Amino acid sequence: MNEIIHDYWKAYLWSDGLHMTGMAMTLWLLVLSIAIGFVLSIPLSVARVSNNPVLRGPVWFFTYVFRGTPLYIQLLLFYTGIYSLSVVRDHEFLDMFFREGFNCTVLAFALNTCAYTTEIFAGAIRSVPYGEVEAARAFGMSKFTLYRRVILPSALRRALPFYSNEVILMLHATTVAFTATVPDILKIARDVNSATYSSFEAFGIAAVLYAAIALTLVWLFRKGEARWLAFLQPQRA
Amino acid sequence: MYKLAVDDLHKKYGDHEVLKGVSLKAKAGDVISIIGSSGSGKSTFLRCINFLEQPCAGRITVNAEEIRTAKDKKGALRVADQKQLQSMRTKLAMVFQHFNLWAHMTVLENIIESPMHVLGISRDEAVARARKYLAKVGLPQSVEDKYPSHMSGGQQQRVAIARALAMEPEVMLFDEPTSALDPELVGEVLKVMQSLAEEGRTMVVVTHEMGFAREVSNHVIFLHQGKIEEEGHPDQLFKQAKSERLKQFLNGSLK
Repeated sequence: MNEIIHDYWKAYLWSDGLHMTGMAMTLWLLVLSIAIGFVLSIPLSVARVSNNPVLRGPVWFFTYVFRGTPLYIQLLLFYTGIYSLSVVRDHEFLDMFFREGFNCTVLAFALNTCAYTTEIFAGAIRSVPYGEVEAARAFGMSKFTLYRRVILPSALRRALPFYSNEVILMLHATTVAFTATVPDILKIARDVNSATYSSFEAFGIAAVLYAAIALTLVWLFRKGEARWLAFLQPQRA
Repeated sequence: MYKLAVDDLHKKYGDHEVLKGVSLKAKAGDVISIIGSSGSGKSTFLRCINFLEQPCAGRITVNAEEIRTAKDKKGALRVADQKQLQSMRTKLAMVFQHFNLWAHMTVLENIIESPMHVLGISRDEAVARARKYLAKVGLPQSVEDKYPSHMSGGQQQRVAIARALAMEPEVMLFDEPTSALDPELVGEVLKVMQSLAEEGRTMVVVTHEMGFAREVSNHVIFLHQGKIEEEGHPDQLFKQAKSERLKQFLNGSLK
């Protein structure tokens, strides 16, 4: 155990000497996919609750497809499936993009979490009390101001507990990244396992690292809820 | 010149006609109470004035500016110009039965929100306005940072009145402002409304409070089944009601 830690702690945490690996890579994957997914999901969730079927329909289809198929298969499709198409290989930018396992992984993760986040936010938008929307209209707000100042700030706050769940699920979902040769925590653990045959230690260390990240995330979200959800909670003495 | 003139307003839900041609004219300083039993169309009438509900026919004029409308496919009125409607709504601030404060904003944020982001005044000016009107509705400065859910109904409604005042509107619309309050909290809200009336604000009030209609308003409209059954000065209306329906209604509510 001590030997493994002595030989591999750097690889588990941030680097194998050449590349970013282990926890740093897992966090980088998580932050990128969550950030992209979040930014995309806001306009998509507004479209998702629209009365206009031309806006609502495609978003419904997108979230249905990405929530209806396993993330593992999505990653395989992006990593090996798309690159097997000659159209992609013949196109300079697409060829460059899809050749990198990391790019395919971030794309698959971002779209996947975006689909779930879109549904969470759409549900939260629907749960904003109608009276508050009516008051905003009665005070002369335009549709844009209404969304920017009332509906989205209220909905995003109400969505926080459900969103924190999605982020933690996404953290655990990053473990499929090794499929596309991304050296995340699990990839290092597998390498250590094949080099030392100490399976319990190799994967045990990985589990502890994931648990530590999850615990930190829970703590951060709890701080966030205390700050942004105070309006739904009992008054503090 | 009238601050607010509503002319021959009609409203239908499907085949059911809720408003059958209701008109109202308010001069500066008028306090008009609209009374009637539930289902008489009084709330619908108020909500049609600022197009929270789409009227089917009628003309609405605020400060001599008529809101431009067109007919949509179903025959209901459609506002021709959203920008004009939005600017008209800023002149008709509304107070709701269920307060409808923005729950995720503190008291101060609720009051400065529309002056800043609709009227476009600076934050400093908006905060100064907010403090002035909070004092006017009798709330201490210490409530500024509270969330609405941490206040009593009466306090919330007074914040809602301050929010409406901060728009410095031409006319204030009150939609049953005391109906959702506990009986002992009704008085504090009515007192605020009375002080507003006394300083000459133009108000249209849908209410079940006969005391308020009689003592504070200078014109009372009695709606029955979507039509004005009787209207006039409260002294005349409450003491010498002409129509049988109004007599019945007053007998029922004054008991």
